[in-house]
Amino acid sequence: MSIELKLSRSNRIYRPNEPIAGKIITKFPSSISHQGIRLTATGTVNLQVRGGTAGVIESLYGVVKPVTIVTKSVEVRSSGKLSSGTTEIPFSVILRQQGHDGSEIFYETFHGANISIQYLVTADVMRGYLHKSLSATLEFIIESENANLLQAPVCPEMVSFYITQDTQRHPLLPELVSGFRVIGKIPTQCSLLDPINGELTVESSAIPINSIDIHLLRLESILVGEKIVTETSLVQTTQIADGDVCRGMTLPIYVILPRLLTCPAIFAGPFSVEFQISIVISFQSELSKLHPKADPRTPRLWLAMETLPLRLFRTKTAARIWPCTFYGAVMGRPSVMSALHHNFLLAGK
Amino acid sequence: MEFRPRDYSSEETTYSLPRLRTELHPLAIRPSLIQVDIAGQEKNDFFDPLRGPSGNKEESVGDEEAVQGIETTRGMPSIDDRQLTQLSAKEWASFKRSLAAQRFSVSKTVSISSLSDAIVKGGKGKKLLVEKFVGSFPIVLVTFPEFTYLTRNLAVPEKPTTSLHLDELNDPQKFAEDDVKVITRQEYITRLRELKDEIGRAWRADDRVTSLKLSIKVARLLMDTTVSQFYPALFVLVTDVLDMLGDMVWERIKRRAEYADDGTVICCLQDNFEANDVCPDAKETCYNWFCKIGSIRELLPRIYLELAILHCWRFLDDQPWRNLQRLVMMMRGLADPLASAFCRLYMARCAQKLLPGDTGYLMTCINDLNLILMRIILEKEPMPKNSLDNKKLLISLVEPTIEWIMKCIFKDAHQRRADDIVKELGLERNLSKSSGSVPCISIVLHHLLKELPAESVCSHAFEIVQLIECNKDFSFDQYMNYRLLGLKLCERRPQVDCVDAILGKVFQVTTQYGNLDQYLKVVDAYLDLVLQYQMDNYLTIILDGISTRAFNEVVAENELNSLQSIFIKLLAHFNDLEDAFALNHFVEILDVLYGSSRDVVNMHILDKATKSGYIRDPTTIQLLFEISQALHDGLDFSNIQDDEHQQPARLISRFIRMVDYGTALERQLEFLVECRGAFGRINELKETLVHESNNLAIKAIKDSNKLVSFVKACIAFNEVTIPSVSASFKQINLYLETAEVALQGGLLSHTDGLIDSAVSCLQSLDLTDGSQIPIDIDGILSLVRKLCGLLVIVPGNIKQGVAYFPRSIISLVDSKQWITPKLRIRVFCAIVSLSATLSQNKLPYHSNSREVMTNDVLFFGDPAYYQEFVSISGSVLENVISAVKQEPNLATRGTMALEACNCILSSFKASHEISSICSQLIEIAQSCLNANDKHLRSTVNLMRGQHSTCSTNAPVIAV
Amino acid sequence: MVLVLALGDLHIPHRAPDLPAKFKSMLVPGKIQHIICTGNLCIKEVHDYLKSLCPDMHITRGEYDEDARYPETKTLTIGQFKLGLCHGHQVIPWGDLDSLAMLQRQLDVDILVTGHTHQFKAYKHEGGVVINPGSATGAHSSITYDVNPSFVLMDIDGLRVVVYVYELIDGEVKVDKIDFKKTATTHSAH
Repeated sequence: MSIELKLSRSNRIYRPNEPIAGKIITKFPSSISHQGIRLTATGTVNLQVRGGTAGVIESLYGVVKPVTIVTKSVEVRSSGKLSSGTTEIPFSVILRQQGHDGSEIFYETFHGANISIQYLVTADVMRGYLHKSLSATLEFIIESENANLLQAPVCPEMVSFYITQDTQRHPLLPELVSGFRVIGKIPTQCSLLDPINGELTVESSAIPINSIDIHLLRLESILVGEKIVTETSLVQTTQIADGDVCRGMTLPIYVILPRLLTCPAIFAGPFSVEFQISIVISFQSELSKLHPKADPRTPRLWLAMETLPLRLFRTKTAARIWPCTFYGAVMGRPSVMSALHHNFLLAGK
Repeated sequence: MEFRPRDYSSEETTYSLPRLRTELHPLAIRPSLIQVDIAGQEKNDFFDPLRGPSGNKEESVGDEEAVQGIETTRGMPSIDDRQLTQLSAKEWASFKRSLAAQRFSVSKTVSISSLSDAIVKGGKGKKLLVEKFVGSFPIVLVTFPEFTYLTRNLAVPEKPTTSLHLDELNDPQKFAEDDVKVITRQEYITRLRELKDEIGRAWRADDRVTSLKLSIKVARLLMDTTVSQFYPALFVLVTDVLDMLGDMVWERIKRRAEYADDGTVICCLQDNFEANDVCPDAKETCYNWFCKIGSIRELLPRIYLELAILHCWRFLDDQPWRNLQRLVMMMRGLADPLASAFCRLYMARCAQKLLPGDTGYLMTCINDLNLILMRIILEKEPMPKNSLDNKKLLISLVEPTIEWIMKCIFKDAHQRRADDIVKELGLERNLSKSSGSVPCISIVLHHLLKELPAESVCSHAFEIVQLIECNKDFSFDQYMNYRLLGLKLCERRPQVDCVDAILGKVFQVTTQYGNLDQYLKVVDAYLDLVLQYQMDNYLTIILDGISTRAFNEVVAENELNSLQSIFIKLLAHFNDLEDAFALNHFVEILDVLYGSSRDVVNMHILDKATKSGYIRDPTTIQLLFEISQALHDGLDFSNIQDDEHQQPARLISRFIRMVDYGTALERQLEFLVECRGAFGRINELKETLVHESNNLAIKAIKDSNKLVSFVKACIAFNEVTIPSVSASFKQINLYLETAEVALQGGLLSHTDGLIDSAVSCLQSLDLTDGSQIPIDIDGILSLVRKLCGLLVIVPGNIKQGVAYFPRSIISLVDSKQWITPKLRIRVFCAIVSLSATLSQNKLPYHSNSREVMTNDVLFFGDPAYYQEFVSISGSVLENVISAVKQEPNLATRGTMALEACNCILSSFKASHEISSICSQLIEIAQSCLNANDKHLRSTVNLMRGQHSTCSTNAPVIAV
Repeated sequence: MVLVLALGDLHIPHRAPDLPAKFKSMLVPGKIQHIICTGNLCIKEVHDYLKSLCPDMHITRGEYDEDARYPETKTLTIGQFKLGLCHGHQVIPWGDLDSLAMLQRQLDVDILVTGHTHQFKAYKHEGGVVINPGSATGAHSSITYDVNPSFVLMDIDGLRVVVYVYELIDGEVKVDKIDFKKTATTHSAH
């Protein structure tokens, strides 16, 4: 005896103005009678504030009342009988109310640490008081409507960064006194469908580099009473350099944004979701071994870092494959060897 | 019993067929066909002027290739491209095998390492120890899941390492306390195989997440480069797993593109499908895979996994190769040179599946590798991990990658593209700047040179030579690059002025080389150029250079090989051997050679010398004689393998034959005497000497009959030489030939002596003697018959008796155990025929020596002489029937009876006695042979014919 | 029309370095259908050279031949003719008609080709034909150094044979023609 939900799209992604279509599949060994089959689609923002973070008052700990985005319920079948074997009952639900001006906001699906925006569709087969009703639930994913999106992929706004001892707000290893310099470019805004593309060059470093990692961070803010509690957490780490890389060689920054764990930046009344990107250079140090599981954001003697805001947005289409011209510009394909050689000589000085 | 009288000269005129001079004959050279014959001389096929020169064919093929080349560079994958890919897949497979095998062979004696929770199931905190031995010093690695290592004597740059002392290593207890797991190479491999199976199993169970997770674990193994010798093998094992995953993902997405969930067909993807043909669901799945892989934290496994499914980009994008440039750049983040090199190797391999039209990414690869290695090479920090040995080890491990990538770059690269490649690699620009900086390291340059088409090498030769000049790092020996350039230049003829400039440069450097081996390796490569362009000054430099370096030094094995090659090139170049000999130091350097190289060169010299006609120059003869002597002395007769010294023996024989002193016959004979002394160990040579001496004698006889003493000397030479020929059979033959010559020279006593020697030889033949090679009875018979033919003109010796030799032969036949009935009958027949001939008033032929009086003159009308042969024949006839009856084989017995019968009928006048013997023989034949046997019938007819004309009382023969 | 090259007694390299150049230039591959060689080549190189002229080659063994695999005698049939081959040093006395006739009877052939005497001969005797092509190199023989190089080409056409005799006399190739037919009486002369 089972009941199962299946959506029309295998990726389960829908726009708010599109009907959520699918079918309810029931499998019964013998026919049963029911008092109606109901389908409910809901959208909720779940908020919670977890303790432990410095500065958050103990009393604030706990679940904040969730915000409902949408609740839509339809009866797909009035009371009757379901025959034995497999029965498929098609359904279709429109989330956005007809005639509505569209001012209600369908936030995109997002699974964060403290904030979770989730859309569910539930099917219930009511069987009266004597029997427990049969139900099945399935998550579907909401992405912004095409109409609201930017037409073409916007060329990401690139910022140049440089990381030296002087840009650090925390002390570094004393051996680094003679300095290091890492430069690069990274976008501050990026389409969700595109990878984060940037570049980084280690120009010099007195101590061998252990690793260079790109951390994708999310900033979740929740209005609790009068206060806004903001917590920063790590979404994804992407290593771009393993070991003491060649000086003067341009390394690409290429980070594919994880689905569901990222969404367009949200600034709603009770909560907001933003993202940051952090470049962390770790130097080879015996000390680092003593803290193998440390939070990468914690300032340490052997870590140099630079954190930049990253505005994520949704576009209609993805560039997805990053045009080679980007690297071409850096590389200057004709006479690569000489270009590199030049760089190398510089680095050697 | 009476011999049948013969009149040979009238028979000759009666039966000779008339001859008519003719101009028309099948081999006539007709004017229109002159060309044919000229062509025929050169062993060419029929020449058709309409077909044009054969070169055209090649040209047109070349054009076709060029057209194809343009098409392929234009981009869209054609079927040819697919075949190319398949080809490259095969190449890869063999390359991989060699990679694994080559390195495994090292790592068998060497050892293993490694780490990772993937291999040690036990999990966290448990140490893994891989123990084996490298040569004399043991390597023990303790590896932790957290990527820390304990190593000894191993260079692993940029990895936290801790040295361990030997005594600690030898104490396994110490590790046991630390809960260390010891793992051997084999266990490691076995574990990897298990993992591969596990991945496959998980996949089949639709647990793709597990498959991916395990694959990532496997890929992470490549992060450990601690035991670098094991790395190539590890690479092969790991990429094998990743390839499997890549194929599974490809198949899955393809299936999703072709079939809906319920199994209905959506479309069928052709081999050359485009991204538009792929349904959104399949694209979604594909993109998900890239997303999943993109979320791998560590760089190395992330790159490897993307490479494994790289070809799946084709579902998403029609220009999937655009990702290659990014991946190449990403690899720059792998600081470990070994890991990054092999990562590039894997990319070069995976990229082939995308059929990229452009090789820019490979060029970047090479450039990056070059830069990384250059950094290592130039590093001067005196740290143990940076020791020269370790660096060299690293270079040797990275070399296959450089080699493979270069191969990929130049795969089906045409001349035009090759030039572009040269430009893109920045060689030209750097050189024109001539800032003294080195654009690439030697090993990269080496593989570039190796793959670069000869045409391109020629057109850039000067730049390349400059490049090599400034390439002095240890990654590859500079002289070997000079050598390679030389070999490449020899493949195609570069411009003359260019050659001069290049040689100038090369010799500027090579003359600095004190080392003979290096010097030889380089000059050997350029020798063909020097010779082709007739740059005699360089030839002089080369020979001078060799002679100063080889002087007072024992030349080593590899140097011998180079010298050998140089000599062979020189010999091939000069039409006239004397020109080669006239070169400065030629003979001197020749003397430096020894062993098999010396023999090879000597054989080349002899071959060359004997192919261009007679050798008349005394100095050349002397030199060749010495060379032959060296060759002869070098032959190892203790271990006689016939084939091994056949070639030198043949060459020396040919040399002896080709020596010509013209009219100075005495000198020529003297030479033969010298040869006999010098080449005594080669048996075949003695035969040559005998033949030559006989020729010499004939020449003397022909020129003037007065040179009796010289002919005598020749004969005497043979009399001395022949006994040293080992095979009796050959001795007999040579005695007979010499006897013939002696007879023609009118030297009767010598003739007698020589025939006597031949007969003694026959007598001493012992077939039962196991030591001798079994002599064929047919061969002996053939010689005996020939001897009988010769005896016709040998004057009977009254002292010994006129029938001395025939009687000797008969006694031989009677005395030897090994004489078969067949042989005996045939010898009997020969004796009968000889007797019949000798009894004629005029012999059928005479010696052309006027001094020799043959028996028909000597014994004309002498009844005693006549009676002697009748008596011999009579005794033979008495025995012939019984001899025939002794023949065990029926058919042979019949044939022998007929042969004897024919012989008797033709030798004797018809008589009762003869008829009775013949009848008996015919009866024997009839009892053995089919009545329709043609020989039998013709013999019977012959007998009847003779008797119908000559005989009165012929017995009735039933036929 | 079948062309059969008959030659022998080359004695290369013992008595002559090579075939006369004039002969060599006439002998081109593709013209000749069969080669019959009486023997005394004497080395393998000569064998290989002849083979390059025509792969269908039949050889008997002369006393100086290195290759012991050549038979003493050989017979073959070309068109209507049965040919026999023997070097001839075994025939006593050398080149004797009656002795050759014995061999011819024994081999049961229409044409017997033998050598050894280094003198060209062609006889019609007892209904059979005996041909000696002479020495192709003009090597000295057992009894004389006075030898003109010669060989024979037989053009066999039905029952008719034209024998072309190529003889090198004073540096010039002279060609003679001998014509004969096979008659019904060939086999029953007696």
